Amino acid sequence: MNKILIAIHEIWLETLMAAFMSKEQASKQKLFDFSDIFFRHFTWVENGLIKQNINYDYNRNTIPIKVDNLQIIIGDIIRRLNTLELSLVDCEDKALSQRIETDIKYMKFTLSQIDDEKVSSFDMGRVLDGIPLSEEATDALTLFLFEESYKEYELIMIYNYLKAHSSEQNLIRIFQILIDESFYHLKQFGQMMSDMGILGVPRIIAKELYQVENITQFLENGINEELNAKEECKKLSDAVASENATLSKFFDFINYQENYHIELMKEALSQYKKETNV
Amino acid sequence: MDNMLIEHMMNPRNYGVLEDSNSEGIGKNPHNGEKVIVFLKVKDDIIEDISFQAIGCMTTVLAGSLITTEAKESSLDRAEELVSATLGMLDRIPPEEAACSEMVALALQASIDTYKERQKDKNFPMITYKIAQTCVPQNDGVVNE
Repeated sequence: MNKILIAIHEIWLETLMAAFMSKEQASKQKLFDFSDIFFRHFTWVENGLIKQNINYDYNRNTIPIKVDNLQIIIGDIIRRLNTLELSLVDCEDKALSQRIETDIKYMKFTLSQIDDEKVSSFDMGRVLDGIPLSEEATDALTLFLFEESYKEYELIMIYNYLKAHSSEQNLIRIFQILIDESFYHLKQFGQMMSDMGILGVPRIIAKELYQVENITQFLENGINEELNAKEECKKLSDAVASENATLSKFFDFINYQENYHIELMKEALSQYKKETNV
Repeated sequence: MDNMLIEHMMNPRNYGVLEDSNSEGIGKNPHNGEKVIVFLKVKDDIIEDISFQAIGCMTTVLAGSLITTEAKESSLDRAEELVSATLGMLDRIPPEEAACSEMVALALQASIDTYKERQKDKNFPMITYKIAQTCVPQNDGVVNE
């Protein structure tokens, strides 16, 4: 089942990347929806591993995504789905593998119907929405997108792991909201990276980041990181304010969204402290 | 920012755990907990394969991608020269970039030294080196540990 977890993890990310690459709204939406479903498959398999008391981690292989045409990456997703179907035969939870298999059959059919498109997500043009920024602002935005797209992926994985190992309803609620928020941010940043021709898969997350030993310390650090992230958004908003008002407003919006995250993390921290009498 | 650097950020080379490594080493920033682990697969004093994993910023990943690319398939002596050359240029680059490059270079050196120790004692534990540079602002101006 560990192999199945890795395979679905890779398919989820590759499908998400394909969604960023597509410019046709109908195709893009299908790919986003499928990537969301793959992520849910991932959590189902993870839950199965936990129930069976099997050790697992979020390690995976690097995923090559640099293509000239959408059909190439879609072909690779279908190839991976074929391999996954074969692996599901070994899945101990037959009901789960059957549910996933029926999804895969439909998804392979739908993916094969998607029209081909030229992909410009790797041309390194580094121009967003046709509005050129100064070199300094472009470099700042480039670095920000690489840092933060990884950070959002990292947070999704950490909160998902904590959620998977929580039994307290309020903590599960908090982690789920944080996962949803990070997904929104990852999708926004990933799309900007694709539009700028600098799309990349977030790098593999180190085990010790999500297998958190001291959750209260993690949450305290996390609150400080969110405060730093607010500062980074503000700096970026200021850097592009005179050149692109829409972009500046977007980064202000992301900055203010961090307030929700801080509040949720404070709530989780207070609950953990109460539970552990810290 | 040139395209070669962007290409390394989009697709960091040699990233992840090297399952069949025979040596590992860590470079650590004691100021903020960031660290890099370098995995080596060495045969006859040649680095047949290398990978790294970082808990750190994009600049660290970039440095890891560049340095491991250079070290791959080189001799251990050549890799040590690469470490020396990297450490020798730290005072000419901005402090945050210097800290990241130092962390990767020291992780590579730690992994090489671990390998050498394991030639004498195959159970020798992984070596960790701490960096002297810091990218964290210091109130007292002290940057060395």
